[in-house]
Amino acid sequence: MRQSTPMELRMGAAREGRLSLPGLPRMLTSEHPLPWLLPLTAMLLVFTVYPLIYNIWLSFHEYVPFKRALVPVGTDNWARLLADERFWGAMGTTFLYFFVVLGIELVLGIALAMLLDSDAPGYGLLRSLLTLTLVIPPAITGMMFLLMEDAQFGVLTWALQGIGLLSPDTPILATPSTALAGVMLADIWQWTPFMVLIVLAGLRSLPPEPYEAAMLDGAGPWMIFRKITLPLLSKVLAVAILIRGIDLFRVFDYMFVMTSGGPGTSTYTLSLYAWQQTFSFIQWGYGATLSLVTLALILILANLFIWISKVRW
Amino acid sequence: MIVQSRSRAAARAVLAWGVVALFVFPLFFWITVAFKEAREIFDLPPRLANFTPTLNNFNEVFGLSLGGNLVGGGNFNMGPRLWDSIVIAVFSTLLAVTIATLASYALSRMKFRARHHYVSWVLSTRMMPPVAVAIPMFFIYKDIGLLDSYLGVILIHAVMNLPLAVLLMKSFFDDIPLEIDESAVIDGASRWYIFRRVVLPMAKGGIAATAVLCFIFSWTEFLFVLTLTQTGLKTVPVVSSTFVTSTGTAWGNMAALGVAAMAPAFLFVLLVQKQLVRGLTLGSLKQ
Repeated sequence: MRQSTPMELRMGAAREGRLSLPGLPRMLTSEHPLPWLLPLTAMLLVFTVYPLIYNIWLSFHEYVPFKRALVPVGTDNWARLLADERFWGAMGTTFLYFFVVLGIELVLGIALAMLLDSDAPGYGLLRSLLTLTLVIPPAITGMMFLLMEDAQFGVLTWALQGIGLLSPDTPILATPSTALAGVMLADIWQWTPFMVLIVLAGLRSLPPEPYEAAMLDGAGPWMIFRKITLPLLSKVLAVAILIRGIDLFRVFDYMFVMTSGGPGTSTYTLSLYAWQQTFSFIQWGYGATLSLVTLALILILANLFIWISKVRW
Repeated sequence: MIVQSRSRAAARAVLAWGVVALFVFPLFFWITVAFKEAREIFDLPPRLANFTPTLNNFNEVFGLSLGGNLVGGGNFNMGPRLWDSIVIAVFSTLLAVTIATLASYALSRMKFRARHHYVSWVLSTRMMPPVAVAIPMFFIYKDIGLLDSYLGVILIHAVMNLPLAVLLMKSFFDDIPLEIDESAVIDGASRWYIFRRVVLPMAKGGIAATAVLCFIFSWTEFLFVLTLTQTGLKTVPVVSSTFVTSTGTAWGNMAALGVAAMAPAFLFVLLVQKQLVRGLTLGSLKQ
């Protein structure tokens, strides 16, 4: 379809007249934002606000198997939460996962973006190849790494043992001290390209002047990176950290398929623990309580970050 | 000097290709698994090219006969699961893009009180962990009979994609100069007319990119489908996780299913390369 010229528009508008009917209150015409925003508002109220309220209600109830019903338990679930070592463990694992993976993806992402920021032939293809990992279902990424980290047949296990980084009696995903790292690897593989793409977009939009000035002053590459590139990238990095951070904090898929939280409790994150309490252990109220804590933590941390970094939409 | 810079460029290219190869390797390896017989999957060092390719894994998973014999094992009959994935992704995308396009036009063009707060609210729904929505939705759906239904999953996937779609579409509308609307307003055209006849045709590319991203996110989603469906329907990512059993894992079949699940996503992501950064950052960064 080609665009209408202003003249055609004028004629079209005259032909059709004003679409707003004379008798209708302005609020119900297309001149008012209300009709435009109504479907979105309704959807979000029904599918995010209502479940939230329901979840809060659920957190003050618990399913009692022999009664086959939810019964009110007051603040029992919240008291149980504070005393639950597994909850604090899951909280610790979530934060550990969050900081380690975010840090590695950020550093690797910046380094790779700078490596791939070139107009020489072939680099465009390399950048496109990297985007492929972003659209693989994370559950399937989990499977891929499950196979590659298999204690007997895993190609990754084999390679790591070959270069002496892993002892033969350490199955990666079945050893409490290495299982989380094994899961992190899947995440890092899949989402480092996300950082690369975003940092690349940032690098491409940098103004050349500060670099020319720095060259004249004889600044070294590391100095230029630290004093010019990083500060100029700060907005881009803030957005990347926010979006990746939200996803890292609620990570679920990888541990669900790779370890189900084990061995022991070494790969339980808050999301996974909440889900398992609800659907595997039929602790509906307690699961709801756990998911609410996850929600509250994300909202607080993300909004705090937005406020500090002044990211705007 | 020239020799030195040329060798540096070569070293950089080698490093760049090496690193990207490292990233592509797991994917490549997974694809080879899909085309291998069971006994060759576990060989170490891995057989990357020196294996006899077979379509048996695909035949068993989808119950087709793509050449070669259907040997042993079962027929997993995954065709319908692929169909479930497609139906859910297509309809949730249509719903999300329609609602988001309407809303984001108003958010981009109309001034009203609390507009900024409204945008923040939309963004904050993007922060909700899926588990905190899936748990109450399970009980709500159970009560109203939407558990294990297309409609239930389509609705929840649409909602999941709404913040992305709204913020992304808003950024595309913001790119269209305001003067175009204003001249039409002066001529007496209604907002609805301007939206349909002027702004929408100009935002076609943006709508397409938004739709592609919504499709991909629905296609790859795991937790909602896992929680809100039982036996009636399942999408490909969820059903693949059932291939891991206590008696062993049908890796070849799982890889075949995984490859079938990746193929459309790869195709789509190559179509939206130019808008990918904008999409992944919810419209806040442009390439």
